[in-house]
Amino acid sequence: MIWNQFALQILNGLGVAAILVIATSGLAIIFGVAGVINMAHGTFIMVGAYTAAVVNKLGGDMFMAMPLAFVVVALLGLAVERGVIRWIYDRPLETLLATWGVAIILEVAARLIFGPLGLKVDWPDLLDGNIKLFARPPHYPYYRVFHIVLAAAIMGLTFYLLYKTNFGLKVRAVRRNRAISGCMGVDTAKIDMLIFMYGSGLAGVAGAVLAPIKAATFDMGFTYAVSSYMVIVLGGVGNLLGIPVGAFLIGEGETLLAFRYNTVIGQLLVFVAIVIAIRVFPRGIFGYHERR
Amino acid sequence: MATQARSAGERKVRRSRLLPRSVLVVGALVAAAISAFPVVGGTDSYVLQLIGKFLCFSIFALSVDLIWGFTGILSLGQAVYFGIGAYTIALSMKLNYTIENSTRYGGTIPDFMVWNGLTEVPGFMEPLLSTPIAIALALAIPTLLAFIFGVITFKRHIYGVYCAVITLAEALILEQFLIEYQAYTGGFNGVTDYGNTRTAQFLWFLVVLTALCFFGARLLTHSRIGTVLKSVRDNDVRAEFMGYNVANYRIFVFCVSAFLAALAGALYAAWVGIISPGDTGPRFSIEAVIWTAVGGRATLIGPFIGTFLVRGLEFLLSGSWLANYWQFFMGALFILVVLVMRDGIVGTLLNWYRARRRGAPAEIREEQDRLEKDRQHDWRPSSEPGSRNDPV
Amino acid sequence: MALLEVKGLTTRVSGFTILDNLDFAVDEHELRVLLGPNGAGKTTLISLITGQYKPTSGRIVFDGRDITGRAPDEIFLAGISRKFQVPNMYETLSVYDNVMVSLQSARRVFRYMLKRVTREDDDRIWEILEFVELADRAGEPADTLSHGERQWLELAMLIASRPKLLLLDEPTTGMTEQGKQKTAQLIQRIARSHTVLLVEHDMHIVRQLAKKVTVLHQGQVLAEGSLDEVVDNETVRAVYLGKGHA
Repeated sequence: MIWNQFALQILNGLGVAAILVIATSGLAIIFGVAGVINMAHGTFIMVGAYTAAVVNKLGGDMFMAMPLAFVVVALLGLAVERGVIRWIYDRPLETLLATWGVAIILEVAARLIFGPLGLKVDWPDLLDGNIKLFARPPHYPYYRVFHIVLAAAIMGLTFYLLYKTNFGLKVRAVRRNRAISGCMGVDTAKIDMLIFMYGSGLAGVAGAVLAPIKAATFDMGFTYAVSSYMVIVLGGVGNLLGIPVGAFLIGEGETLLAFRYNTVIGQLLVFVAIVIAIRVFPRGIFGYHERR
Repeated sequence: MATQARSAGERKVRRSRLLPRSVLVVGALVAAAISAFPVVGGTDSYVLQLIGKFLCFSIFALSVDLIWGFTGILSLGQAVYFGIGAYTIALSMKLNYTIENSTRYGGTIPDFMVWNGLTEVPGFMEPLLSTPIAIALALAIPTLLAFIFGVITFKRHIYGVYCAVITLAEALILEQFLIEYQAYTGGFNGVTDYGNTRTAQFLWFLVVLTALCFFGARLLTHSRIGTVLKSVRDNDVRAEFMGYNVANYRIFVFCVSAFLAALAGALYAAWVGIISPGDTGPRFSIEAVIWTAVGGRATLIGPFIGTFLVRGLEFLLSGSWLANYWQFFMGALFILVVLVMRDGIVGTLLNWYRARRRGAPAEIREEQDRLEKDRQHDWRPSSEPGSRNDPV
Repeated sequence: MALLEVKGLTTRVSGFTILDNLDFAVDEHELRVLLGPNGAGKTTLISLITGQYKPTSGRIVFDGRDITGRAPDEIFLAGISRKFQVPNMYETLSVYDNVMVSLQSARRVFRYMLKRVTREDDDRIWEILEFVELADRAGEPADTLSHGERQWLELAMLIASRPKLLLLDEPTTGMTEQGKQKTAQLIQRIARSHTVLLVEHDMHIVRQLAKKVTVLHQGQVLAEGSLDEVVDNETVRAVYLGKGHA
């Protein structure tokens, strides 16, 4: 019996890791290429969630909301990149502050428009139900399976985009050596812009997917964003693998420790573990070594 | 070379004095005005409470300025140290308060402990019953924590964006921790209802402490070690190859800063008489960064001015119809400070003043200098070979 | 007795051998010039000596002490000061302060905390500033200096630290002809009382300064000797000018 519980927790942890992958991928790609940590990432997720909520109100379901959220938040990302971030790419610490300002504005706007209470978003019928792993409940819900599939899909798509397309080649070139890429005729500003849009769009999708788990609330994104930062710190952005590996370790760690103790202790211990881990991997497990 | 050496009068680099007279005069006036307030306005006005609060906040902002403005470490979790200092004092006051004034339910332990099934003060909190020990702990624990954190991260060359997000997570976790363990911390509501120290004397004490903190910070940043800190900020690689153990300097200033933050928190908790998890969280941490940025980082008056300005404005607007939109303004302020006014109010004024003193905008002057230098560029051979006066 | 001795130094970065079992020594009071085509491993050697990278194998002995794999600040304290290829100083500090923080002194935080700029310190700073002819600019932030002046400021910073060995990595890059001449003069005068290891491409400068030259190629010492000997060396000619000219 205890083994059933334990196995289920491991599977749950996998689901949490999948959510982390979904929430982190956009942020990590932007950080990896442009060197910018977007503090408004959490609110981008929130905007995606509200998009899903509106779609839900109008009678659509989550699957419809996902592409729409991608477009909406990608456009939002475009506005933020053009309006704020492009002026301060060379000052990464100050981007933190400026994007935090963006986050505050979006958060207040959401609260004024949608009210302080959350908007509920329904699960699509398709994801209602469980896989009966064991004879007795608890069972493993479909939506967790969906998260895992979606996480894999996002990683696959991003991998394809970065390693199999011409665009991806330019992106990787810019990441390796911005100045030289610029000299070789890559429009680095445009690459930054497109990557920012893509990353933001992914945040939107994350929001749309996360909305049904809890309600869409104006401050829902922040904790996801902080977890995402931790995934980046642990996993590193030198390689696309950093995202799933970091997410897996954190997701499983938090779930199992939460099962054994409680959520806060889980987070605390995982945080301590991360801080100790970066002593060994200062730029994350898959961080690439910049030559100083 | 010796023949070329300048007379003592000529070779002067203009250095500001440790305490310029203007700063001294203005500082004394402000301190006097604040100190006179309770005498004129009585001790129970809301404005008085605000002023005391702002003084604590400005010490807090100063702690952010020391690490960010002068050493280039951006911590988004500085409220951790503020919060621990504040909670230690608040809990100590609460424990003593309930012994003297038993709660509504007649208990002699804090009500939130009763609600959570505790029947006596937990052993690890007993030292807090003694005020001196509580004060010592309130200052020592955050400093020690900062030391441990610094050793772990700075020794491995982790700073910049990584340091910022790690400290951010640290603050978030502490906030959730305080909410979760409500039997010991009062949970979501925090520690309330433990009296306060809102007296004229304590306000004067606050004024004196604030002045001391600023003077201490001035001493630190103006001294030789302050120059080293700035050199670490400007170019840590060069500093390292100049024999400075950069990590140790970062740890040192991080501890000093945590100490100041803890002091600010402790004073705040005593003065205001209420403390909640939000006061240790990431949002509050970032807010302190923005006070500093608005006032002008890498200046010491900046955090003070920024704090009073931003918090004061918030207070003025909170009564009006604009209150709902205050947050919009805050957000815009973040963006504006970063994009347009990098040096903050004080920094911008200083730049303007310096440029005016030179008689021409800095850029033009630099350009003129460069042209002048180019003209003199023809190389004059040194006096005679092997002259013994070479400093090398 | 050699001041700096490098024994069997090998370093590999992701499969590439950059330095290959390099043996190399610099004597006290020597001005040694390090030559070599791009990618020969000159800057890597300097980075290894100063502790920026750790070697795969081999030993670096300085002044009788094994400094292999030590941290850059420790190696500096042992007496090695390094000038970077790109001028590298503290941009917002004044020229004066740049030299001041470089002065030789205890570097530990708590020892440093009580330090003041004494009369002697001040005199020395001015002496050094006069030496590199930057005394007029002493009060200005370093980022207002021109490229050449920055190079000289960095030299001033190195001198201020009273090193036993100066590693100068292409101090004349990007300078005008006059600038190069001035730098050469400075280096010549510095070398009267210091041991200097200089990486330099400009043959005019090398000719002016060098008594002994070491040529690196593919991470190994190709030739060593006086400049004329080295220039006449056939393998060196082959490496520099291509096989056809040998």
